[in-house]
Amino acid sequence: MNAVEAPVKKSETKSREKTDKPWQVVVLDDPVNLMEYVSRVLIQIFGFSKEKAHTLMIAVHQQGRAIVWNGDREKGEMYVNQLHSAQLNATLEKAE
Amino acid sequence: MTIAPTVSGGLKLIPEEDQDWVVLLKIAHDGDGDLAQHFAGLMDEDSMWEDIVVPELESEFSTQRKKVLKDVMEARERKSDGLIIDRKDAEIWYGAFNQARLAMEEKYRFGPREFRDSDDFEDEEMRSAYFRNEFYGTVQSLLLEYVMVDD
Repeated sequence: MNAVEAPVKKSETKSREKTDKPWQVVVLDDPVNLMEYVSRVLIQIFGFSKEKAHTLMIAVHQQGRAIVWNGDREKGEMYVNQLHSAQLNATLEKAE
Repeated sequence: MTIAPTVSGGLKLIPEEDQDWVVLLKIAHDGDGDLAQHFAGLMDEDSMWEDIVVPELESEFSTQRKKVLKDVMEARERKSDGLIIDRKDAEIWYGAFNQARLAMEEKYRFGPREFRDSDDFEDEEMRSAYFRNEFYGTVQSLLLEYVMVDD
């Protein structure tokens, strides 16, 4: 009996992961925050390498925005909260 | 104003005239804006940002400004030869300077640094704010370079 129930549970988990996924944390450009500081914050919050943080910071600066993280809404809100605490413009968007 | 790194990894601000103290006292005042509300405006209504996050951010930002104002007032009252920003306080000071620059940008719309010229500002209040803004940004750069470094 256990052998029959197990696959059903696995399938539910997979389905939930799919619906929880499409949210993205977006950092927006502003004329105040120093570029080095933006990289530093991205490293501190997301644990990015210096190179990745620098690339994302340049994208924010040149394109006005950059998606820095994808995942479920709850965790995304936590990251945006941390970015706001660091005084960076950031928002959470549903991925298209 | 002279600014110098300290041997213990901090930064010392050395006011040379009374006007320098006045500028330091203005940091907290310049930063007194609606930054937390501004961030809430970037979120959708479902996030409940206004109810849950804004009060926390307001408290955090207010704490930064109060700490900086207290440090400056105490140093001035002691007739200290300067004011040291320790490594442990660097984030707080950086945050207070940042609030001031963000609030001034919101008010005066200076725009990106590379496109500015001090001659653009005919209004005395705006010109004065521009120079404070430049000074705050310079101290922030020094904090990042000399104090907020990884061990």
